[in-house]
Amino acid sequence: MDQKIKRIYVPMTESGFYILFCLQQPQHGYGIGQKVKQMTGGELIISAGTMYGTLAKMEKDGLIAFEREEETRRLYQITELGKEVLQLELKRIERLYQNSKGEEIHE
Amino acid sequence: MSSKKTVIRFFTIADYEEEEMWLHNQHKNGWKLLKMTPPCFYVFEKCTPAEVAYRLDYKNNTETGNYFQIFKDYGWEYIGRCIGWLYFRKPITEMDSERDDQIFSDNESRLDMIDHVIKTRLLPILIVFLCCILPNLARGVETSEPVTTVFTVFFLIMALLYLYLILYCGLKLRKLREKYRKD
Repeated sequence: MDQKIKRIYVPMTESGFYILFCLQQPQHGYGIGQKVKQMTGGELIISAGTMYGTLAKMEKDGLIAFEREEETRRLYQITELGKEVLQLELKRIERLYQNSKGEEIHE
Repeated sequence: MSSKKTVIRFFTIADYEEEEMWLHNQHKNGWKLLKMTPPCFYVFEKCTPAEVAYRLDYKNNTETGNYFQIFKDYGWEYIGRCIGWLYFRKPITEMDSERDDQIFSDNESRLDMIDHVIKTRLLPILIVFLCCILPNLARGVETSEPVTTVFTVFFLIMALLYLYLILYCGLKLRKLREKYRKD
């Protein structure tokens, strides 16, 4: 993986993480926002400008790709590079969580 | 019959939050924004007074087709564009949470927009000032012939105006960056 991609996306913002996580299934911007709201019990709201900006940036960097168009909405899906980044992030968050609980880490 | 009014009001590239508030207050007083004509003409139409959130996004024509669909899905009405800025509004009563009246939900995206404004608006102004206005002013001052006096005065006024704009916008954008980096 490109070091530049790693520097930008590891660690990533909470919104960025949820967006990439949701895109393991094809989804459009507003749909992602609704799903994240539901997953976090309304705690995390991703607004329109932040959603568009994050999607545009991730598409440009090759983490997600255009999948298909539904009515006038663009659906995106995670790419292989996106999956790699997501795995790195998951590993980091898992370690963070385990350490905070005082658990031993088995790598 | 609908009545209209045109208001002249100048906001710099660093005053978008004040502009949002001003448009919000206009709507609250029964004037909804119809369109903007560059550089500083606002056309309003009489309407029922209402609490409506106005938001400005700076894209400088880089937005793709997807952009408007996402804003529409989120309930934002697109009003129009003016020199790189896009204008949106949304009635406050429709919102199911306070944070829904924002177009940015994290500081990273707010900072991205400010950096975009600095790079594509403030920097060109600075370049014009340094590479065009200042050299012309210097040349005018050196050759003190009567013919060039008019030009010298013109460039002096331009130089002062640019200097004021650069300092005002530069300092204010820096303050905005600090504000969003902190909280």
